[in-house]
Amino acid sequence: MIEKLRTIFVSVLKHEEFEMTDSLSADQVNGWDSLTHMIIITDIEAAFGIKFKLKELNKLNNLGNLISLITEKTGQK
Amino acid sequence: MNGYSIRKASIADIPFLVTVVVAAEKSGSDKLSYSTLFDLAEQQAKDFIAAMFEEEIDGCEFSVSSFLIVEYAGEPVAAFGGWIETLNEDELPSKMLKSNLISYTFGRAAMESLKSKAAFISELVSERESLTLQLEYLYVVDEHRGKGLSNRLIEALEQTAFLQYPSVTKAQVQVYGNNTNAINVYKKNGFQIKEKYKTDNAEVLNLLPYNEKYIMEKLFKN
Repeated sequence: MIEKLRTIFVSVLKHEEFEMTDSLSADQVNGWDSLTHMIIITDIEAAFGIKFKLKELNKLNNLGNLISLITEKTGQK
Repeated sequence: MNGYSIRKASIADIPFLVTVVVAAEKSGSDKLSYSTLFDLAEQQAKDFIAAMFEEEIDGCEFSVSSFLIVEYAGEPVAAFGGWIETLNEDELPSKMLKSNLISYTFGRAAMESLKSKAAFISELVSERESLTLQLEYLYVVDEHRGKGLSNRLIEALEQTAFLQYPSVTKAQVQVYGNNTNAINVYKKNGFQIKEKYKTDNAEVLNLLPYNEKYIMEKLFKN
């Protein structure tokens, strides 16, 4: 799952200057702004065949949370 | 205030708030970013804006709770939104609340359209400062302009902000560089231009009202 997410981040942000750690958050990543955030979220939903609830999106504050949420919604690890 | 009264917005005001957002976003032009960036018909964009307000998320420009309304003869005639940045349930920056609302509401096709356009406007994306009063979407119905309603709304939003967060030290507002009416209203109310964002990408003028955006700021004398 981490590799799939990394591919999405790289394709939207157009760089690889970040590490896929649980504590990674949007404000640490160059170019992760309000516009790219929308595209990343939508691409994740498409890649994993899921739809986030608004409440779930508003609780996401780092990569660890995102991975737990996707695991919960897909059963994938 | 000569027949005018001011109150908090409620969900019954959502149709008026959609008018407010559309007019303020267009900023005197015919470009509605929520339509142009996502390849949506204007009516579809308006329906999505209403849907975002209906989610009742607090702390951004699509929060009913951010807005004050001026009423005249029982009808809303002016509005302005304001919130304390990041002072919300999830302590999220308002740009994230807004992005989450948009991606949740607008759907996949709209986001595919955004992909091809995001790069054109990225130079105009600005950050909002945490724990400041952020103001967004000022609108006064044509026939009620020139009566000081904008000043009254700014004053009331500042009072509300002080009650919610007494340590607030400044207010900030973003405005397109060609919107001289709005810039003058803010200057009259103690705001000064703090930063300018500009893009020379010609495509921007097909998407947004103007290619230059200012952040104006007012420091409170506590």
